[in-house]
Amino acid sequence: MSVVYCHIFRRLISYNPYRKKSTTMPLKRVFFWQPNAGSTVNSQILNEVSQCVESINGVKEGRWKATLTFYKPMLRDQALSAEFPREFIGISLPEQPNKYYFVLRFNKIVLESDSSIQLIMEKLQSYKSRVALNFEGFQYQLGDFQLRVGKVVPSHSENLRGIVMEVEYLPISSLEKSKQIMEEFFDIWQDAISKRSLPGRFIHIEPDFSDYGLADHYTSQHTAVQYTHVTSQLIASVQAVQTGRN
Amino acid sequence: MLQQHHQQQQHHHLQSAITAAPPPSATTSTPPSSTTGEAPPKQVALAMDRLGQAARLIADIRLGADRLLEALFVASQPHQSSKPLHLFRQEDESMRQHLQDLRTVGKQLEESGVLNESLRSRSNSWGLHMPLVCPDGAVVAYAWKRQLAGQAGASAVDRTRLALKAFTDQKRRFFPHLDDEEDGEGTDTVSKKHRNLPALAEDNQDNLSDCKTLSDVLTNLEKEIPNLKVSTYERLDWLKRASSLPASANDNTMEAPKHNFHSTSILRPAPQNVASMDKVAVIELFFPSIFRAVVSLHPAGSTDPDSVAFFSPDEGGSYMHSRGSSVYHVFRQITEHATVALQYFLGIRSKTALYSLLHWICSYQTLFTKVCNKCGRLLAMDRQSALILPPVHRPYRTLSVSKQSLSQSISSTLDQGSNAPEAYHIGCFSDNM
Repeated sequence: MSVVYCHIFRRLISYNPYRKKSTTMPLKRVFFWQPNAGSTVNSQILNEVSQCVESINGVKEGRWKATLTFYKPMLRDQALSAEFPREFIGISLPEQPNKYYFVLRFNKIVLESDSSIQLIMEKLQSYKSRVALNFEGFQYQLGDFQLRVGKVVPSHSENLRGIVMEVEYLPISSLEKSKQIMEEFFDIWQDAISKRSLPGRFIHIEPDFSDYGLADHYTSQHTAVQYTHVTSQLIASVQAVQTGRN
Repeated sequence: MLQQHHQQQQHHHLQSAITAAPPPSATTSTPPSSTTGEAPPKQVALAMDRLGQAARLIADIRLGADRLLEALFVASQPHQSSKPLHLFRQEDESMRQHLQDLRTVGKQLEESGVLNESLRSRSNSWGLHMPLVCPDGAVVAYAWKRQLAGQAGASAVDRTRLALKAFTDQKRRFFPHLDDEEDGEGTDTVSKKHRNLPALAEDNQDNLSDCKTLSDVLTNLEKEIPNLKVSTYERLDWLKRASSLPASANDNTMEAPKHNFHSTSILRPAPQNVASMDKVAVIELFFPSIFRAVVSLHPAGSTDPDSVAFFSPDEGGSYMHSRGSSVYHVFRQITEHATVALQYFLGIRSKTALYSLLHWICSYQTLFTKVCNKCGRLLAMDRQSALILPPVHRPYRTLSVSKQSLSQSISSTLDQGSNAPEAYHIGCFSDNM
């Protein structure tokens, strides 16, 4: 059965070694909010962060929304579940409305496919959505930088689970060449936000893109990988708070 | 046809004789000083009248001058009778009369205070002012009328002053090196520095006497600076290429090889190189993942650059040419700075302008890594534009282009040593550099 699914997926994802690589995108770092020990994330922090962006001359442009879905296979025989990848994640990004991204975190695989795959999966009843998260908020322009600040909420609730921030530098797309720029920008950001004495800070952990077969030129696949990692960090920190309480 | 022309001239002459007649009688009838004994409205009306006369006289004088020239031209043609001489004499007479009349009218206007502001402060009980002729020739009939018209008394003098200020600002912005000669109040050290610079520039230019042709310059550049991709294009070819950009990193190998400037290319025989060099009008300097610079040469095939622009390595479109503008702020700022630098190179180092410009452009390969020499940081918020930018200024006056020092500076750039070309943020850059 799984072989059939794989075969269908391969066709749908149009695996072709000679296909053009993903379009180069300006590079981006995704940060998540790490609350201090003993405190939680709340919408007040989100407001403060938004105000901070505006204080460094960020111009509010519009809304943005990304989604991340954990899939589990629909199996008749649950014993077979061990054969399937442990974390199968699907991501939609606002800058690529016609694409849908799949990440298998433990297998270090990332794929870009057409957004119609979601409909096909539903019709085939092959995979079901287990948990879905929405990342949504406002987008700001700061000259050659673009910032997105967003809250993390489960798809059918309003509980704020976390805060993410995207920092994008538009003129170039090389990860290596832009490292210093991104670090210095974060220093400028830290200077601004530390004045507000918020109980926590933004953290960026750079995933090892080469593990996923991704190159130095930034693409939306890199973004998908970053979101996967950020989500697992968020879940870990939420669980840590919960176990702390217990 | 020439005869008809003569007839027309005579007709004009008659007409002008008629129009010339009244003014002499008019001027002789009015008393010389008309400011006393007449009510202000009449003074003003008379002044306006005289201004009108003066304008007509000036027009007549212009026509007369044309006719004099015409008569001279006709006289220079062979086989002419004494007609041109006759015409000339007539014109001469009427011109002298016009000029005399103009002098008279002018004197009257002066006396009545129209040509200067002497009476302006002396407003009479009627609240009227004499008309004023501004230095730009505009006639201000009534000062209060002009105020009503919303011009708030700003005369042409003020407008000229504003225009001059705007022009001076632009000049200072785009041609800062021209101001050096006017700065007589500079301190000794500053003036010494400026005096030394032309000497330096001269020395360096001598060293590069072998870099005269375009292909020499480009070959030299390729040898000295690794990591750089130089390509040359004819003007239309460049437009085609610009529209097809951006090419993703993987597609570089599929680019048309004929446009890459490879002096040691085996694929192309040497004679073909020389032929195509004559038509080269666009030079593209590409530092992968950092920037793309476009330099235009005018005329094609020469070593005279006429414009330069910087773009993102991922940008593409038909707006990408040497007079175009990037969509990104950082490259727009660099382009503006580069335009000033280009003017400097063309003005002070015209013999090696292209060479200097290309090397100066290459100093930007450290755009995203070299910190500012003044504040020590890579990014800074520019106060004027409220943008966060890396150091976009590279000094061009002290750029040393002798071969030895260049290779030294390029290798030290990679080491970020103290000899590396300097970089500054917009706010950290002062004009002395």
